[in-house]
Amino acid sequence: MDSLVTANIRQRPVRSLVSAAGVALGVALVMLFTGLARGMSDEMHRRSSNVLAEIIFTRPGSMELTSSMTNLSVKYVERLQAIEGVESAVPVIRYVSQGGKGFGFEQIEGVDWEPFSRMNNIALIEGRAPAANDEIVIDTTKAQNGNYKPGGVLQLFGGKPYRVVGIYAPESGARIKMSLAAMQDALESPGKCTYILVKCKQGYDQVAVAKNIDASPTTSGNKIQFTRDVFVNIEKSIPYLNVFLRVLVGLAAVVSALVVMLAMYTTITERTREIGILKAMGASRGYIISEIEKEAILISLLGLVAGFIAAFIAGILVQRLYGLSFEIAWSWALAAAAIGLLGGALGALYPAMRAANLDPVSALAYE
Amino acid sequence: MRTILKAENLKKVYRVGRVDVHALRGVSLEVQEGEFLAIMGPSGCGKSTMLHLLGGLLTPTEGRIIIDDEDLTAASDAKRTDIRRRKIGFVFQRFNLFPTLTAEGNLRLAERIHDDGGDDPERRREVLRLLRLEDKMHHKPTELSGGEQQRVALARAVVTHPAIVLADEPTGNLDTENSAIVLNMFQELNYRFNQTIIMITHNPEAAAMCRRIVQMRDGLIVEPPGGVQM
Repeated sequence: MDSLVTANIRQRPVRSLVSAAGVALGVALVMLFTGLARGMSDEMHRRSSNVLAEIIFTRPGSMELTSSMTNLSVKYVERLQAIEGVESAVPVIRYVSQGGKGFGFEQIEGVDWEPFSRMNNIALIEGRAPAANDEIVIDTTKAQNGNYKPGGVLQLFGGKPYRVVGIYAPESGARIKMSLAAMQDALESPGKCTYILVKCKQGYDQVAVAKNIDASPTTSGNKIQFTRDVFVNIEKSIPYLNVFLRVLVGLAAVVSALVVMLAMYTTITERTREIGILKAMGASRGYIISEIEKEAILISLLGLVAGFIAAFIAGILVQRLYGLSFEIAWSWALAAAAIGLLGGALGALYPAMRAANLDPVSALAYE
Repeated sequence: MRTILKAENLKKVYRVGRVDVHALRGVSLEVQEGEFLAIMGPSGCGKSTMLHLLGGLLTPTEGRIIIDDEDLTAASDAKRTDIRRRKIGFVFQRFNLFPTLTAEGNLRLAERIHDDGGDDPERRREVLRLLRLEDKMHHKPTELSGGEQQRVALARAVVTHPAIVLADEPTGNLDTENSAIVLNMFQELNYRFNQTIIMITHNPEAAAMCRRIVQMRDGLIVEPPGGVQM
């Protein structure tokens, strides 16, 4: 291919690479952030869909995305079980800490294994249930990612060693679970929990059961939530996440456009004389603009591909190193592609129009 | 023979600061199809301005230019560009080839501009053969001598069958030997293909190869209005 566009790109490889890298940076940022958000959202959704209790009984403000409190008495378990329509009630302590590698968050749950596993249809596929205060069970994903087996040790609560005694499946809620008593002991909250999972009897409507709980004098005044509403999409549960992502996308577009604009502006100045020659040869304004735009779009296309590859590699690395889920969000991938190409095309428009409007005689005399 | 170019009472005034500089003061010229015309004159006499006006790169302050029956002076900027694209080939003193393209690439670019994406490898080869550049087709300008570069520039100017070739000091950057080769090529194109050529030159030997010479001084044609027939 011996066209002016490809020849110009080859002629200035560093300039072309830097411009493509600018576009790639924007695209990679969008892909990486949205990929992580989507990965975490899907993972949370998958894990929460295995919680089979319909109702969560808790205190207002005791359960946030990145923190939780242990302020609900386990005495409520008996009271809940006495209410019409309730089949079983299982107390859970949820503890949220910084991720093991200093990145993201990690949840640990304290549960009485036998009723919890029965309620949610989960089973140990290796080892046994936690009994002693320094014993935990983990799910298969955690075991695979960390290459843990029964007998292995995890540091929790600021470096305290916990022994893995069992591996369970399917994943449900937090990936690490210990006994309720052990968690109460670790958090110095005897007799307390974060929330109580309530499973309804067959044939009972969960809304009707929730009304019964709310109406009962022994349980009223607390917060009753439906599981389906609590474990919603992470994109909805983190306030302004979507706004943040959109701002990120906008910034990426601006970065791409500015990088391409700067590169093309410099190029046009460098090639003033060549533009004069094109004009002397009878090239129209449209032709000159289209040649410059083609060059910018080709550079953006290179940046786009590089950005996708970089995001994919970075996503895999983050997943491997920090255990965070990364999943390509195709709608955002389309947005990133549009940003890369449109940013480049728009960025080149001003230099292209400036070139097209150059006076041919002055351009030919340009040194 | 028909008139392919007619310039009537051309005037060009440049405004430099608060001063008006009269580059052309009323030049009239007729060029017949198939002529090889030299325009000579000292530096600053208005030769280049004249060539730029004839090529539609500048617009006259006054006067009219008709090229191949089309009025260049009445045309809009876009129309002038279109006339230039279809009817005029330029050859410059500094060759002005695209350094990133090969010799053939430079010719192909001219074809694309001329014919909206046109591509005629046979014509390119024919022109490069005529200018004895066949073996240099895939060479970039930096891999060619000055004479070869100017021949490529000439090939680029004629590959699209222009009505007129306008050459601005085409041998100004060449040594005697290469000047002679390039001028021979101009002459060959003129004789064999009846190509109309208007050439600006300082070089009397170059002018001597033309069929007619026009002398300019202080923005006017001074000798004689019809020029000297060679």
